[in-house]
Amino acid sequence: MIGLFSYIVFFLILSLIFGVAVLGLNLQWGFTGLFNAGVAGFTAIGAYTMAILTGPARDAVFGGFELPFVVGLIGAMVASGIGAVVVGLATLKLRHEYLAVATFGIAVTIQLVCLNWEYLTGGTLGLIGIPNPSKAWADGPLAQNALYLLVVLVVVGLTFAALERIVKSPWGRMLKAIREDDVAAASLGKSPERVRLEAFVLGCMIMGLSGALYVSFIGYVSPWDFLPIVTFQIWTMLIVGGSANNRGALLGALIVWGVWTMSGFVISRVIPSEIQAQGGAMQAVLIGLILVVTLLIRPRGLIGEELHVSRHARS
Amino acid sequence: MLQKYGLAAVAATLIGVGSSAHAVDCPVKLGAILPVSGPMGQVGERIAETGLFAVEQFNEAGGVLGCPVEYVLRDTQGQSAVGVDAAKSLVDLDGVQALIGAVSSGVSLPVLTSVAVPSRVVQVSCCSSSESFTALAEEGKTEGYWFRTYATNRSQSAIGAKLTVDSGFKNTAVIYVNTDFGVGLAKRFEQDIAKLGGSITAMVAYNESQQSYRAEVTKALEGNPDSLYLVAFPVDGATITREWLALGGTDNLIVNNSLRSDDYFQAVGPQFLQNLQGYDSAQPRLPSVDSFNEMFEARFDSPPNGPGLHSVYDAVTVVLLAMEASGDIAGESIRDHIRLVTSPDGIEVHPGPEGIARAKELLAEGQTIRYVGATGALSFDRNGDVQAPKMTWKLDGDENVETGYLSTAEVAELIRMLDE
Repeated sequence: MIGLFSYIVFFLILSLIFGVAVLGLNLQWGFTGLFNAGVAGFTAIGAYTMAILTGPARDAVFGGFELPFVVGLIGAMVASGIGAVVVGLATLKLRHEYLAVATFGIAVTIQLVCLNWEYLTGGTLGLIGIPNPSKAWADGPLAQNALYLLVVLVVVGLTFAALERIVKSPWGRMLKAIREDDVAAASLGKSPERVRLEAFVLGCMIMGLSGALYVSFIGYVSPWDFLPIVTFQIWTMLIVGGSANNRGALLGALIVWGVWTMSGFVISRVIPSEIQAQGGAMQAVLIGLILVVTLLIRPRGLIGEELHVSRHARS
Repeated sequence: MLQKYGLAAVAATLIGVGSSAHAVDCPVKLGAILPVSGPMGQVGERIAETGLFAVEQFNEAGGVLGCPVEYVLRDTQGQSAVGVDAAKSLVDLDGVQALIGAVSSGVSLPVLTSVAVPSRVVQVSCCSSSESFTALAEEGKTEGYWFRTYATNRSQSAIGAKLTVDSGFKNTAVIYVNTDFGVGLAKRFEQDIAKLGGSITAMVAYNESQQSYRAEVTKALEGNPDSLYLVAFPVDGATITREWLALGGTDNLIVNNSLRSDDYFQAVGPQFLQNLQGYDSAQPRLPSVDSFNEMFEARFDSPPNGPGLHSVYDAVTVVLLAMEASGDIAGESIRDHIRLVTSPDGIEVHPGPEGIARAKELLAEGQTIRYVGATGALSFDRNGDVQAPKMTWKLDGDENVETGYLSTAEVAELIRMLDE
């Protein structure tokens, strides 16, 4: 039973870390309609910033400041935010699929920079020995993971609460107005360009936070953690959970990561070992099938956007 | 649909849990985390099958401590988060005390730091080549739970440097592929060649699958090198070599074992490569290797050509022997017994059901053994790394001829000298 409990703790940590990134994407796509296909790039910026700020000093590699965990988290958000301002200024005039292509290219570029800028990122060897704060406070893997889960829950809770507050504020209503019809919003004196940039930057900062939580937990970062498949996973989580709903974003992270991992577990149990080497393909089919079926049954995601005229007007 | 599925999976989990394997419960489980789908799927699938083959042979010899061994394979999809989750699930839900895998270092390392070491489970990789593991072990962060049966780059750079200096080259340019494999190898080469009295004129990294490498080659030509050390794979390696020769580079080439391929020779033209030399991991000239090759061919109808096949067989067999020797099968005692079943002064045992049965008899009598397997005699150093014998070769016309052979002991001696 302890094994099961220990695994569930571990599973929750990883899925909630993904959940943070999904919340960031939800602000961009769900509420503002920005097609950011470069999620992996912004999580990478956060992850490497965390590694550089909190990791141990290394020969021939920049950084290793051994700063506290919280400084790392804040630094990761700031760095991703700065990255997002630069990217946003350059690309946010683009719409829809054009923005998607541009951000996708940027994520690939960021991954290649991580791969090649050895002095900053350790190149292909990555950065090792990044401290996990829970290891200083607890003994044994289960206690450490439980403590780290608590940290992640606090971060998720704060992010969630802040986003809920933001999207219900006048600024949040403006996001939806721009998403639905930016000409109409502009005619009312709003500045869609500016607001889009703000939402993009904020969303990317949250993605950076997710990357930072991931490297502290794993203790290692390499360019191979930020391949385009990560962007795809986070998008799937948002779409399955329900975009423009923060609860849906978190639920999507749990469900999709659950399907992704459980399918492997089930395959390893039900398929005889002689043909298990072919099981990988079956797992991919299973994942795809479950996702397609979910979207057929619930096209707007498991819990989609709550529709209302105004939250003050009850019908 | 999803909820239902989730419930079924949780129920399956509950049934499966309950064997935290410290007392010896049958069957004994061995976890494998390998990329059987995704970009490495082709390679991973054969490695996974060979791992199973090793388990089957062990079971033919009676299994571990009288229990059959169950091989539980999980796919990493070549993704670190998926691999980490699979490893954790094997440890927590299946109660495995040893993990085989993964293939790429970018997956093996997260598994090691976030699952294997904290959970005190042995991890043996067939294929991860990154130098980061050695660095981590030097810092004591692997706590001895990390092993790999893949001979590290350490010996490749050493023999490459030795070959360069022995050929009388003084100023060498280096062009290498920008992956953990290429970077680690090139950096070590730079250090080794300095120790042996040669010097480097340029270190140039290249990214894979480009149309042309003119810029890289031009940069490497600066400083008039009298030789080129090339760490590349056949397609890109041929492009680089053609451009290098076309731009007036010397034909004194020293190439890594990844270029010992007819594809490469033919793409460049063997007539231009008559001053090319290289090295490779030699298959040790040992009966144990031949007998593995024969058994493999009998089982799969094809020779064991391909990355990681010999080394995964040995990874599995060494772990299972260590389990047998440990008496219980806890991760900690497996770790402590791995060197005892590969002890240089032990009695030699070979792969295959008969060899394993003999090994088990000797262990039961309280003897130390030395498993000499598909990759030859394994001798793990304190960082969990192994060495392999090396050979050097050159092209003579179209023929690829051997020019020298260094045994494992000679390789170890060379490395010791370079590391001093």
